[in-house]
Amino acid sequence: MTQFLQQLINGLSIGSIYALMAVGYSLVYSIMNFSNFAHGSVIMLGAYFGFFSLTTLGMPFGIAFFIAACGAGFVAVTLERLAYKPLRDRRAPFLYFIITAMGASILIDNGVIATIGPTPKTFPPELLPSYLQSGSIQIGTLGIGRVDIAMFVITAVCLVALILFIDFTKMGKAIQATAYNMKASALMGINPNFVIILVFAIGGALAGVAGVLYGVKYQVFPQMSSITLKSFIAAVFGGLGSLPGALLGSLLLALIETFVSGYISTQLRDIFAFFILIAMLVIRPAGIMGKSAEDKA
Amino acid sequence: MRALVCIVLVVALALVGCGGAQKSDTIKIGWLGPQTGDSALWGQAEYNTVKMMADDYNTAGGIDVGGKKYKVEIVAYDDKGDSTEAVNVAKRLTSQDKVVAVVGPQGSGEAIPIAPIMNDAKIPCVASTATNPKVTVTENGTVNPYMFRACFTDPYQGKVAAYAAYEKLGKRKAAIFMTIDDPYSTGLAQYFKESFEKLGGKVVEQVSYTSGEKEFRAPLTKIKAANPDIIFIPAYYNDVALASKQARDLGIKQVLLGGDGWPSDNLVQLAGNSLEGCFFINHLDMDGDAAKPMRDEYMAKYQKKAELNSYMVHDSLLMVIDAIQRAKSLKGEDIQKALTSTDLEGITGHIKIGPQNDPVGKTAWLIKIVGPDMKFQDKFAAAD
Repeated sequence: MTQFLQQLINGLSIGSIYALMAVGYSLVYSIMNFSNFAHGSVIMLGAYFGFFSLTTLGMPFGIAFFIAACGAGFVAVTLERLAYKPLRDRRAPFLYFIITAMGASILIDNGVIATIGPTPKTFPPELLPSYLQSGSIQIGTLGIGRVDIAMFVITAVCLVALILFIDFTKMGKAIQATAYNMKASALMGINPNFVIILVFAIGGALAGVAGVLYGVKYQVFPQMSSITLKSFIAAVFGGLGSLPGALLGSLLLALIETFVSGYISTQLRDIFAFFILIAMLVIRPAGIMGKSAEDKA
Repeated sequence: MRALVCIVLVVALALVGCGGAQKSDTIKIGWLGPQTGDSALWGQAEYNTVKMMADDYNTAGGIDVGGKKYKVEIVAYDDKGDSTEAVNVAKRLTSQDKVVAVVGPQGSGEAIPIAPIMNDAKIPCVASTATNPKVTVTENGTVNPYMFRACFTDPYQGKVAAYAAYEKLGKRKAAIFMTIDDPYSTGLAQYFKESFEKLGGKVVEQVSYTSGEKEFRAPLTKIKAANPDIIFIPAYYNDVALASKQARDLGIKQVLLGGDGWPSDNLVQLAGNSLEGCFFINHLDMDGDAAKPMRDEYMAKYQKKAELNSYMVHDSLLMVIDAIQRAKSLKGEDIQKALTSTDLEGITGHIKIGPQNDPVGKTAWLIKIVGPDMKFQDKFAAAD
């Protein structure tokens, strides 16, 4: 029973990281209908922004965190302007967007390997606030990492704020309208370029938060972006384009993974994860929460 | 002024003269190892070491081979820690560069595939940290005549680790946490298990992960439930650091034990205090007296701490130079013959090559992690 509870906690904590990352995939998909595979690289850059602001520049953690979020948001928007906007202007097929995204991802990852180097870095514990330091709270024989609790809370705050923003603000409504029908909302006076920049900025900022949290929990390294592939699966699983779907998909995927590796075998974990992805695409292509192709966000 | 110009010209002429003569009086020794990729840190340390040693030999006037002085030239290539690349590099070293011997590679994954090339070219290769038995002895039991190594093997290391766990630390129940897709890890795990059970211990849980993975809590929770006395982690330092941190977060307080994948200047930095009081088996005591001269020289030259691979490749090159001097020849066959009777004192202990081209009875060192330091605990030799 203890082992079951411990695995449940492990799963929830992994799920909360997936969720922060998956939201970025979902947001962009809801507006632009393509999977932004460069998102993982933005997460990685966010982690490096946070790491260097904290260590090299000696900023307090809160500010380093803020810089990471802003920096990653800025990178995401720049990427949109430089790589995707020219394609949009030429009305390129969606396949081109995906290929461009993959290219940008490889470019960024290898750029980091070439300049900063492939060696993993750890956030120095003495520079972190106490709630993010390693160590755990013991309840009986259950161990809950302090980082995990903090991550869960930060993720929840970010996602609730995002959902409130999308449901109750004018800009949020603009995103919803554009996701529903870009042409029609443009005719109603919503500037699609603005909405797209907004979406990339939000997705990027969340990527920065996710990157720093991932870096604190594990390590900061250039191949981080490939690990975010799992969060993409989570987004598809939950229904690409749906925010609650991304959240649900992430938690479910993480729990399934944890229980498979905890009770069956670690080697079968990825087989399960990808099997679920394929099965979902066959049975219910829109994912758990995904509605019909037009009704997203 | 004119005198100065004259001196400069004379010196320049002398140098040119030397340069001409140097070509024929140079011993070319190949090195291969990863200068890029995941294990670049260790490859770089090896490359720095062989360069430093060659400089030392040359400033001391070169090496005496049968009464004639030779300069040492290192021909170095990056194998990217990749088996295909290692094969290409080995071919280039043997056929194009015409080296007399090769030191490195560090990984068994690179050393095993280059064995046939070295055998065909009749050029001996002394691997630095390739500990898998198949480096020197093929699957069907025949010895690769041209493959040697300076390190002990995995069966030996597994035996020593089991002995340390059972006899020295008094642990009876062990769990194993290994990398499933890495022969080094699975091999070492298997040898540990065999020896530990032979001694009377019990392996209560054995779980694994795939390389590149960063999240280990699910398998570690399984280990926690099995409640072992000690956890054996045959993996590389980066994974060890992640695993130890996550294990402590789960409330796993047991001592962790590892092999020669652990020692790195980065280990404690990455793991924080999660490895406090843990043990690993090493090829030498990196903070000991035997390593001091080289440790200091390396630090003075590169402003970095020498890694385990620095000491290992030092002994590999030492074996090659020693064999060349004893063979009094630069022919691959002669050097190979001399290598089989190697019996010398290296930084990493006494190296005596046995019938299977492996050092026999090499000392293994049990090291404890105390604060930021790696403190020597005990050393033992062949426990056959």
